[in-house]
Parts: sequence; C-alpha cells; structure tokens
Amino acid sequence: MDTSAIADTFDTLVDDALIWVSDNLAFLFDGIRTVFEGFYDAVLWLLDLAPWFVVAIVFGLLAWRLVGRGFGVLTAVGLAACWLMGLWPETTSTFALVIGSTALALVLALPIGVLAGFLPRLDRFVEPILDLVQTLPPYIYLLPAIALLGFGPATALAATLIVAMPPAIRLTSLGIRQTPVHFVELGQATGMTPGQMFWKIRLPFALPSIMAGINQSLMMAFGMVVIAGIVGSGGLGESIYEAIRTLDIGKSIDAAIAIVILTIVIDRLTQNLVATGKDTA
Amino acid sequence: MTTPAPGTEDVLLDCRSLWKIFGKQAPIAMKAVQERGLGKTEILKEFGCVVGVSDATLQVRRGEIFCIMGLSGSGKSTLIRMLNRLIDPTSGEIFVKGRDLSKMNAAELRAMRAKHIAMVFQSVALLPNRTVLENAGFGLEVQGVARDERNRAAEASLRKVGLGDWMSRYPRELSGGMQQRVGLARALTADPEIILMDEPFSALDPLIRRQLQDEFRQLTKDLGKSAVFITHDLDEAIRIGDRIAIMKDGRIIQVGTAEEIILNPADPYVAEFVAGISRLHLIKAHSVMLPVAEFHAGHPSADLGSLPVTSPEADIDELIDLALAHPGPGIAVMNGGGDPVGVVSWRSLLHGIKGSTTSEAQA
Repeated sequence: MDTSAIADTFDTLVDDALIWVSDNLAFLFDGIRTVFEGFYDAVLWLLDLAPWFVVAIVFGLLAWRLVGRGFGVLTAVGLAACWLMGLWPETTSTFALVIGSTALALVLALPIGVLAGFLPRLDRFVEPILDLVQTLPPYIYLLPAIALLGFGPATALAATLIVAMPPAIRLTSLGIRQTPVHFVELGQATGMTPGQMFWKIRLPFALPSIMAGINQSLMMAFGMVVIAGIVGSGGLGESIYEAIRTLDIGKSIDAAIAIVILTIVIDRLTQNLVATGKDTA
Repeated sequence: MTTPAPGTEDVLLDCRSLWKIFGKQAPIAMKAVQERGLGKTEILKEFGCVVGVSDATLQVRRGEIFCIMGLSGSGKSTLIRMLNRLIDPTSGEIFVKGRDLSKMNAAELRAMRAKHIAMVFQSVALLPNRTVLENAGFGLEVQGVARDERNRAAEASLRKVGLGDWMSRYPRELSGGMQQRVGLARALTADPEIILMDEPFSALDPLIRRQLQDEFRQLTKDLGKSAVFITHDLDEAIRIGDRIAIMKDGRIIQVGTAEEIILNPADPYVAEFVAGISRLHLIKAHSVMLPVAEFHAGHPSADLGSLPVTSPEADIDELIDLALAHPGPGIAVMNGGGDPVGVVSWRSLLHGIKGSTTSEAQA
C-alpha cells in the first residue's frame, strides 16, 4: 500500500490551510506584526538611549543590590566584554527581543495560568497543549511564523512568545492551586469576598511560584531568540547564524560568550527578585 | 427572622439535628438515613459516602464556653466548621442570634462571619508577610475599616493577650504560644459575640498550654464572649468549658457540665475517658453527701451542731482538708440559709474520691 499518498494529502491540506489563513487573515497578521515590531522598537530605543557604559553600570548596581557586590562587578564587566567584542548593538537587540517576547508572553500567560488554577477543567484542557508546545522542537514555530508574519524581528518575537508561555502558565496555575488550605479557611471565616481572597490570600502565596515561572519563561525566551537568528531576528542569534554560514568560528564563539553573559545576568537577577519578593512582599 | 423558641432568648447559637455526609451521593444517602434509619457503616457500603456528623443538636448560651471533645475522626472539626458554614450541613438547622444561617445569601453570610463569629485555628494561619499588628487587624482590613481605626482596635486586643510590645514584629519571630495569642487577638479585634476555637492549643507544649487555657477562659469571661472550643483532650475541656459535649463517630453522645459527665457517664466509652480524671476539684459536696436522716440512722449518737460545716459547692479537696482538721463522724453541709441539707460521712467521702458507688448515697 502506498502510504505516501496519505502523507501528501495531509501536507497539501496543511499548506492550503496556511495559505488560506495568510491570504484571508492578512489584516490580522499585519496588525500583529505592527504591534510586535512597535513593541520591539520601543524596548530597543530605551536600551540604546544611553551609551553602553551607562547601561553596564546601571545593571551592575542593580545586580549589586539584588544579589551581591561580587555579582554586581561581574555583571558590569560582562556587559563591558560584550562591547569590547564589538557586539553591543547585537546585545541590546537580543535583550530587547527577550524582554519584549517575555513581556508579551506574560500578558497572555498570567491570566491563563490564574484561570487554570481556579478551574480544574481548564487546567486539564491546557496541560496537553502545553506538553505539545514544549515537546515539539522549537524551530518548528519559525516556519508558520515566517509564512504569516514575514522575515524579521516580529517573527522571532512571535515564535519566542509561544515557547516562553508554557512555564509561566504552568507555575502560575500551580501556585494558585497550592494556596494552603488553612489560609483559605481563614479568608472564608473572616468574611472575605472572592476578590479579597484572590488579592490578599491566593496571589501572595502564589507569588514565589509565579516568579519562578517568569524566570523560566525568560530562560526559554533566551534559548529561542538564538534559534530565531535563522529568520532574521537580528541580535546575537543572527550573528551566530552568520558565523556558522561563513564558518567563522571565532566570531561565533564571541557571540556565544555574549549570550552566556546575558543569560546569566538575567537569570540571577530574576531569581533574586523571587527571593527578595518572599522576604518583603 | 424566625421567632426563637420559648426560653431560648439567651441562646446565641442553636443547632438542630445537624448532619454532614461527604460524598457525591450525599443527598440520596441523607434521604436513606431519614427514611430507613441507616447507620454509618451501611451508608458507606451502600452509597460510598462518609458520615462526618450525625444528628448533632446543641445550644450555646450567651457568655458560655462550650467545649466539644472527641478523638480524631469523631467529627468535631466538621461540626465546628458547620457553625459558620465553612462546611455546609447536609441537613439540619443552625440559628445564630435567632437567624437561620442556611437561608443567608453570600453577602449576609460574609457579614455574619466578619462581625459576629470569629474563628481561631490550630494552625494559627498568621500571614507571614504582615506584622503582628497587621495580622491582628486583618479582620477589620477585610471589612474595609480605615487603617488608623483598625490599628487602634488591633493594638487594644494585642494588649489584652499580653503582646503589646510585639506589634511591629513578624509572625516568624514569635514562639508558638505567642503566635496563638496573636490568633486570639485577631479574633477579638472584630469584637464578635461568638468565637470558634478549633483545637487552638493542641500543638503547644504542656506548660504554655495550661497558661493559655487559663488566660483564654479568664479573657472570654471578662469580655462576656461566648465560645465553642474544640479539643481532643478531656483535661482541657474540663479546665475551660462550662459545658462539655463528647463526640464519638460523628455523634454527640453526652452533653453536660464536667461534674455531671464524671458522675454519670452516658456509656462505657465516656466512663473510660473520665476514669483517669482527677476528681478532687470537680466533685462537689452536694454530690457526695448523705441525706441527714440516713446519716442519723448510721450515727445515732452524732450531734449535727458539733460537726464542721461547709457549703454544697465545696469540692472534695476542701472536704478532705476539713476532715483532716476535725475528728468526728462527718461534715455538715449547709445551704445559704444555714439549713442542713446533708452530711458528708467519711465513707461517702471515700466513695466520692473513688468514684465507685456515690450515686447510691445520692439516691
């Protein structure tokens, strides 16, 4: 039996569907593209506002305050190294992509996570979708994104957004579900409205878990932003992709080092935001 | 509003035949109980439902501390949670200050919980990110009372429990006993008439526990509050409670004062419980004395006027002191008017201590 016919039919169907969507919903995707690019440009504009050493010093001080003096110095030196390697514009644009996509992902993921935390049925529905999103190889999302949004940072942003959402949804939902029973009872026995219960009891107790989710989302976004170099995202990802194409090992290692520095800085900063949130929030 | 039954004006909390059956088929199981009188094991077998509380009826009067004592699994925690509807009863009625709790809508129920029934938990449940003062004022915060006013009220109730100097600390800086005091202060801040205490002192060590028991009783009496106090410890129930209900397998098997329960345990289960309790301060002269005539029959030569005199409320400890100080055949028990109402003979005193056949002498 010739199974290739079945596969061909399936592929044709998918292609046709994608073409139909891109033809008929062009206005929608043009809108999304405009919003994403605008958002990316705004974050990038902010980062490029100050010269590199100001940014490095600001982040160094932030790291000092949140983590410790050693890490503060390391952060400033690390960012200076990115500049020294001649990769400063790429660094800021990668940063803008990560921040932009994670912020957009959180706008969607946090409400979904909260709802899923309250509604077990929604949670059961969302879980397998998240499993699927997380198990598919991430660059799968690049192709339809190109078809619908074209080449450029908006595409990278969209694909990254999809990859960054699952951890935030999962951990937000978990945090809401795991409110200690006796505090829920306290809220009820005190005569709380459902709104008060959410803001005064459930959310504060879920906060560490939600912050861990945000941290994880950021890390996923970093991974994806590099892969998105293939679709002309700009930034360090594209530098690496260029270096691979021209077999320029030195340059690819420079860009890789810059990515590692950026990832470590963001990871430690957000992780410690979680810890301080626990102490003082 | 329902009209209160006659003679119950002073009953703050009135529960009539409360049932709680857990499980998907609870309503059908409840019907089977009412129609066919099924027991706990049959319900579990036939419907897969667990009977948490069965047919509990109790009244709590104004200013009374009502203890519910039972071992784990006896249904006491479920019962107390029905009193403010944290758990909805499967059947039965609860009247708080004459109002039917089951007929209240969500807003009325919230107002009732916020203003009239406070609850103190075994786990204390202090919010870790708020100071002691903020925790104590939490109930008023929920009610939307302005910060200044709620801080004043919270400070006043923290002073009542002796934590005036700890207001700006965080819960984690306090010992277990102090945390539970904050829990009590939080309940008092909203100035409710009724306080539900869900095993509040069970997790504390014995010395702190006794201290808190005494303080709690004193404070409740001073402030004129009513309380329902859950415990698994009969000693605690006796120390704190004006009346005690004993629960077993979801049923209330006996309600009475400590003395009534110790003298007349309703069944062997209760008898076994009270066997280990020291009777010295619980049994009073009126329970161990003989009628005057019976005493005379036994001691024809004794002159009532020459015996030491005590009141019917004197406990066994006092009777022993009197007996040691005065040689003679007995102690005369006089009422307030100076009339002899009975005599405690050495024999009846020993019976009283031993707890064997005192009821014979009473009868």
